[in-house]
Amino acid sequence: MTDRPGLSRHPGLSRRSILLGGAGASLTIASPFVHVTPARADKGEIVVAGWGGSRTTAMREVMFTPFEKATGIRVRDDGPPEAAKVKAMVDSGNVTWDILDTDIPAILAMVNAKLLEPIDYSKLDKAKLGKIPPVLHHPYGLGHLIYSFNIVYNTKAFPNGTQPKTWADVWDGVKFKGARSFPFRGGLSPQLEFAAIADGVPADKVYPLDIERAWASHDKLRPLVTKWYANHAEAIQLLSSGEIDICCTIGPRGLVAKKDGAPIDVEFAGGKLAPDNWAIVKGARNAEAVYQFLNFVIDGKVQAELAKRIPYGPSSQDAFAHLSEAEAKELNTSPDNLAKQFWTDIDWWGKTAENGKTNNENQIERYARWMVKRG
Amino acid sequence: MTLVAASAVPSAKAARAWRARPGLMIAGALAFCAIVYLLPMLSLFGWAFQGPAGTGASLAQLSRLIGDDTYHYAFFTTFKIAAITTLICAMIGYPYAYLMATTGPRLAMLLTAAVMIPFWTSVLARSLAWMILLGRKGIVNEWLTGWGLLERPAALLFNSIGVQIGMVHVLLPFMVLPIWSILSRLDPGLPRAARSLGASPAAAFIHVTLPLSLPGLAAGATLVFMFAIGFYITPALLGGPNDLTIASLIEMVVRDLLDWPFGAMLSLALLGLVALVFACGAAFAGAGRIAGMEGR
Repeated sequence: MTDRPGLSRHPGLSRRSILLGGAGASLTIASPFVHVTPARADKGEIVVAGWGGSRTTAMREVMFTPFEKATGIRVRDDGPPEAAKVKAMVDSGNVTWDILDTDIPAILAMVNAKLLEPIDYSKLDKAKLGKIPPVLHHPYGLGHLIYSFNIVYNTKAFPNGTQPKTWADVWDGVKFKGARSFPFRGGLSPQLEFAAIADGVPADKVYPLDIERAWASHDKLRPLVTKWYANHAEAIQLLSSGEIDICCTIGPRGLVAKKDGAPIDVEFAGGKLAPDNWAIVKGARNAEAVYQFLNFVIDGKVQAELAKRIPYGPSSQDAFAHLSEAEAKELNTSPDNLAKQFWTDIDWWGKTAENGKTNNENQIERYARWMVKRG
Repeated sequence: MTLVAASAVPSAKAARAWRARPGLMIAGALAFCAIVYLLPMLSLFGWAFQGPAGTGASLAQLSRLIGDDTYHYAFFTTFKIAAITTLICAMIGYPYAYLMATTGPRLAMLLTAAVMIPFWTSVLARSLAWMILLGRKGIVNEWLTGWGLLERPAALLFNSIGVQIGMVHVLLPFMVLPIWSILSRLDPGLPRAARSLGASPAAAFIHVTLPLSLPGLAAGATLVFMFAIGFYITPALLGGPNDLTIASLIEMVVRDLLDWPFGAMLSLALLGLVALVFACGAAFAGAGRIAGMEGR
């Protein structure tokens, strides 16, 4: 994707008005999501903004601490890497984060708002980079940890391999009884690929998306869905309590629950893979340390260690040399599972449509419109 | 009252010292309010009347709001939910407050605790708890089907029933407390006088107690309605696709589409509507009572 000059939305604003506007907006609207403890990025230190929780704990263990020991550069973690917060930082000129760990929709929104630094791939280790599928080398984000939307189901409702195995099955309320749940929160992209595939489009021909066909198919899904869930943790909760039987949600989250003993399993067939990425915040102060860090963490062995702790697929295929067969089987990027799934087409979602907005932005808005009007 | 009296007694000198510099104290408070409330508010105005590409002053956001009925639906849904919640809260809250005000001290304390304790628990935790209670396999449905009252589980969750249960539970204290505060200070001699003049208990209530307590009811209703309009977590967790509120859409616009000017316009519209409700309530009950100030 190329940089779009002239799309910056608020060039006429002073720093102060943006700061205050940001403060006002976050106070009135986003207060549960914006947290205010600032972290400082100085020389000899980088700040990585991630999602917190067990994920950050695992990263600290296998990435941050070993990197600190190897280089003497301190790694601070902060987060969550909300695009709105990055915007407030960049607009106000007070950037306290260097590296983000975030998904493509957020990256696309931030690229559009000019909040990210392009990644200089010439500064990255060629050998390590070569093990990461080229589809993950986005100009503004390097895919490192792979999540996937999969058919996640309750094993009491569907024991012994009776679960739906294709999206057409999920769309078939007669053959497969049970309550469905799909993600919807204002701001989440609709799962249009699955709608198209359920309607008969082959997975490898799903892009460029036939938007109207996909939405027509999405209409048919509506009566089968008991709950349009608002966050992924909620989805897993609903699945394990038996409140819903079939869920389109993040497969690795299903695996975490399965390991904890919940009656949940994941069908990888037909899944949609998408990367969480390393991205560099515009105005990051310590570029050299940033690339040192990236070279350290895209290493296959480091990624394998992370995958042992949190069951998200490593992007480097080299990681599987360091994982046992049993460990690999449960990961969405193991060679077997990779073959059953397809990659989200970042370029399609990021493409600017006729109205000047990206496909992603347009479809997010359409999703909200569809949700409100078709009740 | 006693507090004021006590603090006034010990040192008239100290009181004079405070009085000498009231301007300074007020200036500090005003500056704080200006920085924390007024300036962000003004800049919200600034954002809302900007063009889509930062093209300066423009009514683009307003015309987008007027032109896109998705947002009208959401506003309508939000107001509908808020109105129903207010009505239910009033219907439950008034008798409850009445009982609190008229019963013996021990039961009154128990009733107060029953309202206040959930009041101190996080809204998110309570909404999640309702998800567990009201679900297809939740306790409520297990009992209803277990006792043979229902053949199959009732749909109590992911629809407007779930939203109402959750929201009434969260907002009921805001209805009960203002009504109780008025009823408890009502001169019990007044209804007694009505009775002694031959009014039936119902007539005494309708013609004496109820009219005197209406300001409390109006204050409670305004508070509940205003909070309900901005509600977001409870409808998102307990509701279905028909319960999408404007707060959710504002979040989408600000957080995911990063379209802050339009987000500001939506917030402003919501603010305007809340102000309108406040104005109506204030006209009826007196602004001080709604803002929580006591006295008359």
